[in-house]
Amino acid sequence: MRACGDCLRRSWLLERLSARLDYASHDRARLIELLALADEELIAAVAGRHREALGKEWKRFEPFVAPAEDVQALCRHDGDYPSSLASDGAPHMLHVAGRSERLTELARAPIVAIVGTGRATDYGMEITKSLARGLAASGITVVSELVDGIAVAAHAGALEVEGGTIAVMSGGLEGGCAARWRGLYRRVRARGCAVAELPSASPARRWGRTASRRIVAELAELTIVVEADENPGELLGATLAHSLGRTVAAVPGRVTSPVSTGTHRLLMDGAALVRRPEDVLELLGRAASPASRDPTHETDGPAAFARLEPRLRRTLEAVGAGRDTAAKLMTDETDAGETLLALSELELMGLLARGDGGRYVPRQSAVSGRGGA
Amino acid sequence: MLARAHTFTIEGLQTRHVTVEVDIRQGLPAFSIVGLAGAAVREARERVAAAILNSGFEFPGRRITANLAPGDVPKAGPGLDLALACAVLAASNQIPREHLQSHALFGELALDGGVRACKGTLAVAQATRDAGLGVLMLAPARAHEAALVEDLDVVVVERLRSAASVLGGADGDPLPRSMLRKQDRPRAVEPDLSDVRGQHHAVRSLVIAAAGGHNSLLSGSPGTGKTMLAQRIASILPSLSRPEAIEVTRIHSIAGGSEGELASARPFRAPHHSVTTAGLVGGAQRGWVGEVVLAHNGVLFLDELSEFARPALEALRQPLEEGRVAIVRARHAALYPARFMLVAATNPCPCGYAGNGERCRCSETALARHRRRLSGPLLDRIDLLTQLGHDGAHDLAAASLTSSERARARVTEARERQAARMREDGVAVNAHMDVPMLQKYARLEERGERMLRDATRSGLLSARGQHRVLRVARTIADLNGSDRVRTRDVGSALALRPDIGLADSRAA
Repeated sequence: MRACGDCLRRSWLLERLSARLDYASHDRARLIELLALADEELIAAVAGRHREALGKEWKRFEPFVAPAEDVQALCRHDGDYPSSLASDGAPHMLHVAGRSERLTELARAPIVAIVGTGRATDYGMEITKSLARGLAASGITVVSELVDGIAVAAHAGALEVEGGTIAVMSGGLEGGCAARWRGLYRRVRARGCAVAELPSASPARRWGRTASRRIVAELAELTIVVEADENPGELLGATLAHSLGRTVAAVPGRVTSPVSTGTHRLLMDGAALVRRPEDVLELLGRAASPASRDPTHETDGPAAFARLEPRLRRTLEAVGAGRDTAAKLMTDETDAGETLLALSELELMGLLARGDGGRYVPRQSAVSGRGGA
Repeated sequence: MLARAHTFTIEGLQTRHVTVEVDIRQGLPAFSIVGLAGAAVREARERVAAAILNSGFEFPGRRITANLAPGDVPKAGPGLDLALACAVLAASNQIPREHLQSHALFGELALDGGVRACKGTLAVAQATRDAGLGVLMLAPARAHEAALVEDLDVVVVERLRSAASVLGGADGDPLPRSMLRKQDRPRAVEPDLSDVRGQHHAVRSLVIAAAGGHNSLLSGSPGTGKTMLAQRIASILPSLSRPEAIEVTRIHSIAGGSEGELASARPFRAPHHSVTTAGLVGGAQRGWVGEVVLAHNGVLFLDELSEFARPALEALRQPLEEGRVAIVRARHAALYPARFMLVAATNPCPCGYAGNGERCRCSETALARHRRRLSGPLLDRIDLLTQLGHDGAHDLAAASLTSSERARARVTEARERQAARMREDGVAVNAHMDVPMLQKYARLEERGERMLRDATRSGLLSARGQHRVLRVARTIADLNGSDRVRTRDVGSALALRPDIGLADSRAA
């Protein structure tokens, strides 16, 4: 056991108050304030008429950690605790999947958060993956929650190049993962690391969604928003990062896309504009050295584009210009087979991905699934 | 006094020979029927009595016992009326008995003594011939179904009176004029492919699906014409061969759907998504056949695939795999033919506008659920995915790509190619090729081989997915009249591969 008694008690208290915190999480700013309070103040603030009974229970609490294999409790008084989690609102204790050395090791590299909406478009998913791939291949640690949309794409992208990634859970380490992401979660735990504020078996909580975003924002020195609408909930990660004095960056989208309105708002308010991994490296003050670059980036850039056969180049340009379905690409009767062949070839090269509704989405670089060749 | 008559009862798609034995003896007037008679057969007593009296005969005021042999086969339907009435007449010596031995009688009686046609006439005619009875006596309405059977004399009777005189040695009523017509009628009017404007991509993949007998999935936003296209698939399939047509007519005659003529169009069945498992594959009650059987030799269209109940879709696996469906219930078991082409349609997401960032309002959770509903074993048996889109307004004004007749000619030609190639293997279409056959008939050029390898390595295709791509590529080559499968065919097949149901595919 690495955590001190006080911090274990804090963790117990948060789980005990989960229902009340869920209620309080309707007001996200208030929840963040609450989480910064000391134990007694927190009880007084949310426990209502049970505050006395709970206060007694709190006093009687005896530190105990159910011995769980593969999970380590790490508190803020420990030397290994990530130094970036230094604000008042930062969690007192984290449950770390695997060994804490793994987290320390990942935290030694610059940490970049990639966050965004849960209703991402194919474009957003592809951009996220390509950013995560490029950053992870440059030795940067990616951090995000483990929820639908941009977050899972960030983890998946980093894992494609076997890079480091940290998942911040909105529940416990065992109970907090949605069934559909269990495969991804397993890979994140194997290659990277997962952390949670709540004890292991706790299910994902509503307040945990907000709390985990604050951990993501605090862990990272740079937060990139890929797609988000103007809803304050979707922009929470950026708001928190900004209030902590961290750099906020955003990826532009189409001006007509509802899930890009938030990122455009951020850009207008002065967030850095990010198009590709190199832009992020520049923001971090690191030169994009070719040696550290994702080996699959070879196909990126104008040079690779020029190497393509003309017919493939034409198809790729047409898709990029919005003629993105097979039907739209076929101009007359004779070219059906050729068009489909070109689409398949580009997909195999990793330059196109097939999205929802039969739309093809340009990808920025080839996938590592091609063996990195 | 005893008399016997022969008739048939139908259970599922099977006919059973029934001997009607009528015994009349002294006693209180009564008319009882024994031998596992169903409700319709028990009601026959009233119809038979009224018809006999109204035809000017005498209904014996004695104790009448009718036995339906064999006694362990349930008898259903009103088709036994005619045989019962004639046996009663013979047992009471009102008509001679000897002709009853060589005639099969099949028809329902009206109270005024008229004879009505019954469902399943074709099946009964086939059974009559197989049982070695030379003559089938029935009502005129469905007589041309019976006339499809060779080596069988068909006698048409409009009333019980004429039935009695035929059994007495006279001729039957004149055959309906339509029976004298030539049998091969033109195809019935079906929805035509020339009604489809634009959607060239979709039309082309439909032709591929029809040519190779590939099960396919149409995906597209509401209003893009999924249903319209699917309804036209039957029209581009090759015409039914005569044995197929007879098979189809027999099934639909028993189910009550045919108009008493030889089927000319391929069946197109489109059950609503509220269909139950029993409704889809059969087995609700003894002898009930499901939609898959009615779609035999034709098309089964499932609109809004993700709305169908999971058990119903799971039940489709056996028919899709084996081309038949085995129904086993507590007291009966039956095997029905069910070789059909599956065409399914779905929206890309619950709201229907997925991929259209500006319109889709579905949460990732809803999308994941939608994909999960589509995935699974059924999707594993679908070879082709066609995406339909709004191609823009100009398309509605565009000329149609082809007509059903022209498309059918191409499909028929491609099918002939396949049949000629695979004659020894006992397989008619590419969709049914197994793996050794794929290795034999779908050899690829080096570049195509490499494409498939790349696709497998990068996780776009599973091993089974690879076989599906090969089958479709073979069909595209057949449509182009080529013996070799070219790289272009592989590329096209790859672009048409179904993977919509792979949950999490966007993230992983």
